[in-house]
Amino acid sequence: MGPFSLPTIGLVRRRMNPSRFFRFLTGRLTGRRLDWAIVVVLLLIALMPARGLQPWTGDLARIVAVPIVPLMHFGLATRDRLRPPRATFDPRAPEVIEMEMASERYRTLFEQQRLRVEALEREMLQLRAVRARLGNSGAELATARVVGLDPTRRDGLVRIAVGLRHGVRRDAAVIAHGDILAGVIGADPGEFISLAKPSTRCTLGVRLYPADGVEPAREPSVYLGTVLKPTDGGLWLGDIASDAEVSVGQIARLSDDRFGSAGRGMRVGRVRRILPNEEVPLARRVEVEPLIELADESEVIVVVDPAPPLSGGQP
Amino acid sequence: MRWSVYLLMILVSIAVDASAGALLEIAGAQPRFLPCVTVFALLSAPKIYAVRLAMLAGLFADLLSPTLRVDGSQLTVIGPWTLGFALGALAVLPLRSLLYHRNPISSGFAVLVFSWLAAVVFVALWMVRQGLWSGEQPSWWPGTGAREMWHQTKTALANGVIAIPTVWLLEKSRTLWGFSTAKRVVHGAARELV
Repeated sequence: MGPFSLPTIGLVRRRMNPSRFFRFLTGRLTGRRLDWAIVVVLLLIALMPARGLQPWTGDLARIVAVPIVPLMHFGLATRDRLRPPRATFDPRAPEVIEMEMASERYRTLFEQQRLRVEALEREMLQLRAVRARLGNSGAELATARVVGLDPTRRDGLVRIAVGLRHGVRRDAAVIAHGDILAGVIGADPGEFISLAKPSTRCTLGVRLYPADGVEPAREPSVYLGTVLKPTDGGLWLGDIASDAEVSVGQIARLSDDRFGSAGRGMRVGRVRRILPNEEVPLARRVEVEPLIELADESEVIVVVDPAPPLSGGQP
Repeated sequence: MRWSVYLLMILVSIAVDASAGALLEIAGAQPRFLPCVTVFALLSAPKIYAVRLAMLAGLFADLLSPTLRVDGSQLTVIGPWTLGFALGALAVLPLRSLLYHRNPISSGFAVLVFSWLAAVVFVALWMVRQGLWSGEQPSWWPGTGAREMWHQTKTALANGVIAIPTVWLLEKSRTLWGFSTAKRVVHGAARELV
């Protein structure tokens, strides 16, 4: 359909030839009328559906844009020079990798310090607990780091970083978690390193206390006593009378005087099983398991002798 | 008035708006130089051509601001800015006698009014299109028309501010534009018809 094939224009065409029609248009469409005519045409175009616009408006826009493209490129170059576009993030860029490594390093340092703080707090708690137990006995305490198992593997000895220079003597109690006897210092402690014998390798005189607590008013002698002898499996066995009241889970506390007042009353192990004694029909045996393993601990407390007082006038 | 100079200035201002204009963006509102040039011409050109020259600028604005469709194609709609500029021109023309049109500050006010009215028509026409034809999304989609109007209001304010130095600079090139300074005076009454 041609542009002038509308019925109205067809009537006009019948009455006048095209040249007369254009003369009519140019003669009448001037000034404000021309403006309104343009507005009406533009309004119709503006409300056309996309399928009516897309075939020609895009091409027209591309033609119009041709003269301003160089100017736009110049403007874009100026803009990029004055305000550089933000570079895209490259996770493989050297500075990014360096920052990630630095971040990881500081995170590791932070974690180390956090663990160190936790260890110090634990140590302080242990020291306070042991100090409260010792009271005014005059004994001194030394914190010792557990170095590892003795290379000779003899008697399950464990090396701890404390020695004669710190006042350590043979058979001094090695304490863990505040009130657990972890072991005793072996023979011939070194200047800075000592060998500790785990409590599971020692024969200990203990009393069996209820697992749910001790009544302070009752005398210790009320509770059942026995001598724990080490077995090969890292446990103790102790003989008790057949009529003695004992139950699984009871706590064995040291009653020996060999480790001084510091060791007495410390926890040693827990009753694991109650067994019959085939050799002695009127007796039974208790199997006691240790509460901790000395080799598994990182730090322990050793009861040391007080430093000898300096004689007056000497440096 | 020299139409060639006007055409050249329109093209330059559109190019600047589309490229380096982003440097002047403040709070998401990027001022545009095209309304400044148009209003400068409106304030000095003969009244008979005023609406047409504004529509010419609007036509360029329409042609160079295509809308991205859902299917990824571009759609150039002729009309929203053209008719908006026409309404802006009709609003600015009566102000010519009220504003001292050589004053850049009064030109800034005229640009503000012009830009805001043009934006009203632009948003309104797109809303009508959206209602008429399903799937025709305006350039601000998925935002609302009200939010776009608020954005265009901020842009109109920015246009008014940027118009002050721009019109001051354009005043320096007044001789190039060839605006007629002749006045036809009717004998007797102290009345001028421009």
